[in-house]
Amino acid sequence: MKTKIALLILFISGNLFAQEQKMTAAEIASFKEDVNIVSKKIKTLSTDFVQYKHLDFLSKDIETSGKMIFKEPNLLQWQYKKPYNYSVVFKNGKILINDEGKKSAVDIGNSKIFSRINKLIIGSVSGNMFDDKEFTISYFKLKGQNIAKFVPKDATLKKYIKQIELTFDKEEATVEQVKLLESSEDYTRIVLKNKVINAKIDDSVFTN
Amino acid sequence: MQKSTIQFLLINCFLAIILISCGSVTKNYTPKKLDKTSYEVPYFKDSKTDYVYKTNITVYGHDLSGIFIAKKINDTTHRVVFTTEFGNKLLDFEISEKTFKVNSIVSELDRKILVNTLRDDFRLLLKKEYQIQEQFENESDDIYKSAYGKRDNYLFISKKDRKLEKVINSSKTKEKITLLFNSENDIFAEKIEIIHQNIKLKIELNYFKSE
Repeated sequence: MKTKIALLILFISGNLFAQEQKMTAAEIASFKEDVNIVSKKIKTLSTDFVQYKHLDFLSKDIETSGKMIFKEPNLLQWQYKKPYNYSVVFKNGKILINDEGKKSAVDIGNSKIFSRINKLIIGSVSGNMFDDKEFTISYFKLKGQNIAKFVPKDATLKKYIKQIELTFDKEEATVEQVKLLESSEDYTRIVLKNKVINAKIDDSVFTN
Repeated sequence: MQKSTIQFLLINCFLAIILISCGSVTKNYTPKKLDKTSYEVPYFKDSKTDYVYKTNITVYGHDLSGIFIAKKINDTTHRVVFTTEFGNKLLDFEISEKTFKVNSIVSELDRKILVNTLRDDFRLLLKKEYQIQEQFENESDDIYKSAYGKRDNYLFISKKDRKLEKVINSSKTKEKITLLFNSENDIFAEKIEIIHQNIKLKIELNYFKSE
């Protein structure tokens, strides 16, 4: 009986390890370097994305999709195209919103969360985020993927985001999934696909 | 003498205007014999459906947009969540006719007056059944009057296709909140507006099918 339980435990934990394994110090160093080398080369990035909002009580995730465009050093556009048009541009300390043609602007100064998320998204493609003092970071590996998990240190930010998980493609060393966990049950998962790096993108794209 | 007559007329006119404007919601409607004693609202009653709406809130000239989610979690209670387009949860309520629980709310929205207003609005929006005491009609609708605490609700059911198109929440003298429904199939409403008459608050919900 004892052996059976021991075997079962071994089997379960073995399975867990097969899913996600902690990186060694050497692996962390090499992963960080890979991301840094790639991200230093990124001047522009455009990608399609699909966002899955998971709420535990819903029968289905809420799916929205669109395009994200980034240009160095800190121009960013999030554009939802389906099932509605909603676009947000981060530019010169401001957030410009176009909601089905209805336009408005928010000063990031008034919206710390937005500015932090902006910094994190940009950081995740530019490679600066591993030095971010605001998070406790842990590193994991999966088959073909690396995962960095960020837990906010700041109590205010922690109220909104329990953890941020960035999943990197091992070969390309670029972000392919962003997961924002609000609680253990509820999260937002954003999958990036059809990435194009360093295509020519005019500043005029970042108007709303 | 003439002067006082004019004054008298003016006062009378003034009184007449006040009296007219104080008239109840039903002043333009014709009373009718009651054809039912209760009405069941179809729009949020299915416990298998995720009711997901793109939302625009206009409050005293400020705009706020996001996603409104409602789900019936048991016979009496709905879970209501409002998130930004990015998915950040702004508020999370559990509402029944008699109970109310705040699961979470961001500090920027955590004002008693706002929470109470939203609680009352959502409670009215999600109300599943009305007991009817009086009935009226106008050209296009059958109008059912239903007592609601100190206020009354007037339900407007179109004569043409028997859909619930409007609910007016009213005190004895004044309309307070208007709910407008647009529904194609009479099972759920594709577009809903919640309009307040005494404060500058309007909530617009547009149903969207997730991809």
